Amino acid sequence: MTAKPSSTAAYLLVAPAALLVTAFVLVPLVIVLVVSMFDVSLLKSSAEFVGLGNFQTELTSAAFHNALGNTLAYTAMLVPASMVLGLIAALLINGLSHGQTFWRAAYFLPYAATLVAMASVWRWLFARDVGIIDAIFGPLLGVSGWLNDQALALPAVAIVGIWHQIGFVTILYLAALGTIGGDQVDSAMIDGANGWQRFWHVTWPGLGPTTVFVFVMCVASALQAYDTIVALTGGGPVGATETLTHQIWTRGISYFDVGRASVLSLVLFVLSMAITVLQRRGAGRRLEMAGTR
Amino acid sequence: MRKTAIGQALRHLGLLGGAIFMLGPVLMMLVSSFTPTGAILRREFLGSFTLDNYATVFETVPVLTYYRNSLLVCLGTLALQLLVCTPAAFALARLRFRGRDITVAALGALVLIPFQVIAIPIYLIFRQVGLIDTLAALILPFVGSAFAIFLLRQHFLTLPSAICDAAKLDGASTAATLLELVIPSSKPAFISLSVFTITSAWNAYFWPSFALTSNEFATVPFAVISFLNSESGTAYGPQMAMAMLAVLPLLIAYLFAQRQFINGLAMGSTSN
Repeated sequence: MTAKPSSTAAYLLVAPAALLVTAFVLVPLVIVLVVSMFDVSLLKSSAEFVGLGNFQTELTSAAFHNALGNTLAYTAMLVPASMVLGLIAALLINGLSHGQTFWRAAYFLPYAATLVAMASVWRWLFARDVGIIDAIFGPLLGVSGWLNDQALALPAVAIVGIWHQIGFVTILYLAALGTIGGDQVDSAMIDGANGWQRFWHVTWPGLGPTTVFVFVMCVASALQAYDTIVALTGGGPVGATETLTHQIWTRGISYFDVGRASVLSLVLFVLSMAITVLQRRGAGRRLEMAGTR
Repeated sequence: MRKTAIGQALRHLGLLGGAIFMLGPVLMMLVSSFTPTGAILRREFLGSFTLDNYATVFETVPVLTYYRNSLLVCLGTLALQLLVCTPAAFALARLRFRGRDITVAALGALVLIPFQVIAIPIYLIFRQVGLIDTLAALILPFVGSAFAIFLLRQHFLTLPSAICDAAKLDGASTAATLLELVIPSSKPAFISLSVFTITSAWNAYFWPSFALTSNEFATVPFAVISFLNSESGTAYGPQMAMAMLAVLPLLIAYLFAQRQFINGLAMGSTSN
């Protein structure tokens, strides 16, 4: 006789996790929806139903338009740059006969390092006059004090974000390059294709699914930019680096306006879902691969 | 043959150029943390070695308390996460029960929700129950991790079914199967998950900036920001020492276990 484990055992094994996921993901999701329709005063512990009032106030506010604009601009800077640079690094590393492990580790290091701490280092590097960046690029580009400059602060934050993100892109592309058959590349070489033709006609199409996936991951990371902003600029100067995610903190924790912060959370939710739904299957596949590694 | 040798050299050269950008800040942090602020402001490095920056950090803030808090949060999160998520992952992978498929599907959807979206409601709940500014507040939201369950479940699915079936013939209980057969043969998955969980917990700043209000339970990243805001803006020497102290533990671990870090983080982040 085989002792078939009863369903009760299965439920007992799943219950603690199910309870916690419900309490810390599902219930909060419902709360954020509910709270977005209330004018909550944390200090007086009172709440008044205002329907879509918070949406109306928040979505038409100049602060929201500024934060949304900055978030999109930041995404537009971070995503292409980290993808292109990460891919170039992966292609360079992949073609090496020696030292692949070394370069892989070197380029991935910024992704593993504590980001707020490294951003505080970048804050000094960007410091007006005394920082290395002003010393080197000041005379070349004729600009200084990036973090205090309305036009340059967001690009400066993006540079740090790109620095952090490149290694992640490199690793994903390296994994994909490892799975593209050497046969195809070899036969293309026999056909006399040059390096660029080989890349464009064989390698790049082979990287397609990875590229879509990397794109989604980079957009998600751009939407969540926070640590760098706090350490580098705190959202300034004059809101020039205020983004959606940082605005959630500012509205909810600093101004105690959790109703409007919930509206911002929902906007972030919608943006994140729009981009993830695009590649949901890809993410599932990726997780499956990860589990078997 | 010559051509490939030149090609290889050019690749290394290109990567070296990129490394100025990638590793430059790390190197500058290392060097300037041992340089007096005055020399840093004049951009004179390597000329005047000093430990004063570290001494200043240790004198002005309770570094060891920050380390203790961070360590407790890392280990607490990991231990509770493994305790809660391993059995669930096993049941969802290997046992048959009503509602299993829908639970798996739900987890697959929940894993996609960014934590940033639900930070405000969790903050409100914790305020209500008096958990703001405690270590528990930093740990609890990450114990029941949909990602951890998903990752472990995927791994358990790949184990040969003979492992489980043979155990059943022996009359081993479900718990014994899990403890004696499934867990020992899933080391790579547990290592990846542990690296991901510990690194995320050590580096986390977003949630601590909601849940903490004082420095009493400050984790290292939270302390870095407090230090940055409390020091006069140009005390770069101590600031670099503080950054070094924040980065160092993981950096040392990274030097010894790059492969585990890269596996753990690159695939781990794919769910966040």
